[in-house]
Amino acid sequence: MPTLTGKVFFISCLLVFSVPVFALNDTPVAPVGILTLKPYPSPVVALKDIDGQHFNLKETKGHWVFVHFWASWCGPCRKEMPAIQSMWNKLQKEGLKIALINTSEDEDTIFEFLGVYAPDIRALMDADGRITEQWRPRGLPATYLVAPNGEVRYQALGGRDWDTPTYLNFLRQLLKQQ
Amino acid sequence: MLVMLNLKQIKFFSIGLVFYYSFITFETHAKPTNQYQYSDKKVRIRLLPRTPEQMAAFYEGRGFSKEMINRLKQVCFITTGIHNKTQQILWHNLTHWHFTNKNGNIKRYTRQYWKNEWKKMRISLAHQSTFRWTLLPDELDFRANEHEGGNITLPFTSEPFTLTARFKTGKDKAGMPIEIKIENIQCRR
Repeated sequence: MPTLTGKVFFISCLLVFSVPVFALNDTPVAPVGILTLKPYPSPVVALKDIDGQHFNLKETKGHWVFVHFWASWCGPCRKEMPAIQSMWNKLQKEGLKIALINTSEDEDTIFEFLGVYAPDIRALMDADGRITEQWRPRGLPATYLVAPNGEVRYQALGGRDWDTPTYLNFLRQLLKQQ
Repeated sequence: MLVMLNLKQIKFFSIGLVFYYSFITFETHAKPTNQYQYSDKKVRIRLLPRTPEQMAAFYEGRGFSKEMINRLKQVCFITTGIHNKTQQILWHNLTHWHFTNKNGNIKRYTRQYWKNEWKKMRISLAHQSTFRWTLLPDELDFRANEHEGGNITLPFTSEPFTLTARFKTGKDKAGMPIEIKIENIQCRR
């Protein structure tokens, strides 16, 4: 039978050693379909939105940024966009920034598409596709999560159900870190 | 012979008929036309050759010029899907895809080929970019359960041809390679 001193010693050890383990686990575990990347400085995003306003990713430092590439002709993009709008409605107030980048389409196409699928998000226009190329997406749609220090930390594989608890909780955990 | 049916029997036969016809309809729709597929426990590859009209309708909708579409109409256009069903990395590299028919190898048009073509034709960067995004990636490390797709372009041939493709597997590409073969593929006109 373990003595009371032994028990106290064991519990103390458990507490002492569990602190660093807990600290390590502070990094959120990426859900299915989200790749944890070896962090690297984010490529440039300096674009105009559909209203002619400038956006520069550099100016979002200090916040997590949801960087998303899409095109209206891409079926999975159409499917995913309402989930992004819904996620954005929930997390915008919690500090998430978003860069919704259209790849190589004209203003009319973007306007018509977002009017239906994501009316509350301003779209950035990568008119000649050069910014998109620099990010080297696996395909379209493509989503990256950029950390407050400006490093690309996560990449989504294809379209994701961003407004489901799994992804919302993951994003919220990230936002707590900023 | 006149058969008298009560309400219950009529209901029973009606439900039966609905099931019968929906099954026939499903069967008819479930058989894809001109689609080719390889599927096993590890990977699924689907090929869907497009008619020039299908291809043109898509790119016309994106505002491509007549000149660009006429050039594309001359080629064999195949929409391709890849699904890595394994829990390890599947390394896709188009240089390991070979198309052959009775006349020998069919040389795939590469991204560089199209880049040169569009440059010669002075096609806008936006349309060049859109076109590139509709092509199957040259290389990709397919993660567990990842699907990606895109188009492959070949010189048009009226002869059936065969695709053989090889994929490396595992984190360091040292896993058991996967080889697939799809025969009797035909371009559409």
